[in-house]
Amino acid sequence: MSRHPAPEELLLDYAAGALSDGRALALALHVALAPASRQTVDQLNAVGGALIEGEPEALLDDAALERALARVGKVMVEPRAVPAARHPGFDWAPPPLVPHLRPGMGWRRILGQFDEIRLDVPGDAYRVSLLRLEPGHGLPEHKHPGYEYTVCLQGGYTDATGNYGVGDFAVGPGGERHEPIADPGEPCISLIVVEKPIVLTGPWGRWLNPLVSRGII
Amino acid sequence: MLSADEAADLIEAIASRQDRAAFANLFRHFAPRVKAFIMRGGTDAEAAQEVAQETLIMVWRKAASFDRSRASAATWIYTIARNKRIDLLRRSARPIDTEDWLVVYAPEEEDAGKSVLAGQTYTRVKELLEGLPKDQLVVIQKAFFEDKTHTVIADEMKLPLGTVKSRIRLALRRLRQALEKDES
Repeated sequence: MSRHPAPEELLLDYAAGALSDGRALALALHVALAPASRQTVDQLNAVGGALIEGEPEALLDDAALERALARVGKVMVEPRAVPAARHPGFDWAPPPLVPHLRPGMGWRRILGQFDEIRLDVPGDAYRVSLLRLEPGHGLPEHKHPGYEYTVCLQGGYTDATGNYGVGDFAVGPGGERHEPIADPGEPCISLIVVEKPIVLTGPWGRWLNPLVSRGII
Repeated sequence: MLSADEAADLIEAIASRQDRAAFANLFRHFAPRVKAFIMRGGTDAEAAQEVAQETLIMVWRKAASFDRSRASAATWIYTIARNKRIDLLRRSARPIDTEDWLVVYAPEEEDAGKSVLAGQTYTRVKELLEGLPKDQLVVIQKAFFEDKTHTVIADEMKLPLGTVKSRIRLALRRLRQALEKDES
């Protein structure tokens, strides 16, 4: 049971197909791991279905069916699909993440404190990353000028707003300072989508922020 | 009209024997409706027709992955149309095959018994939508028809974000009640 579900308005944005790719990935991962949110999305999809069913028919040009029949004459019905296989070394990755993983992708140590894999996701997010924190370790104290979306994929972490476990979703409002610490046990792995470069607020922030804003760290 | 069961039968006929007549029936029913749905968001007729066409072709390709115990035909086709809209209208620079939700979210034990989303769903959701207060309905419709986030909707309607959020939450509470009513 997810103790921190995504806000319902974001589940609606997701079910309506309105989210940019980075945020859609965050919601897809949350929904894959949180049954209650999955049920809400199922219900919203049913609303989509009812809206389509309730549409008056738009005129379709007469040849449309003929063209479609000609096309399906050349297309095989595919065998029943199965969820994407787990990616070697990424056993914890839920199915929606798998298409974003590439062979040879590896963790990169940042500021000597945590590991990061940046994902190549098109859209308007500034950065879409996987972060890994060793138990008891934290991220440097920082704040976000824009929104930040976090989904916990392995282990757990605690910050001023609460304790987060696998499947939990957090929306960090802009400007809030926070310092998450990984819980004891296995390393904490999360997907983070940030809209704008983060700002470090700790003692080294003054020196490091220019590097952060240039995407070097 | 095509009943939910008839529509599901047609998809299964495509899956089991590549039934072209079943495809034609499904196409006649859903392609014009998908086109109309896509046009509601301001998409022109030609582009909307392409989305409808590609949606039904995808229905053919993926027919074997349809699971009538988890979703009605209309619900499944909605998710395909939504993904096609994203692929064709928003991401023209980089089309990708968006994943099929029935496959990605394979049911788990926790979901067992929760799937009341086939069968009578359409009637119940339709009743629900008809019974929603206008201000809630408009927000839900804008999200689905116009492919807009709640933030953009708030902006366009010149409403505080909190107002839009609470309308969405109220509408969802009613939706949940309507769909769970017959479950117990």
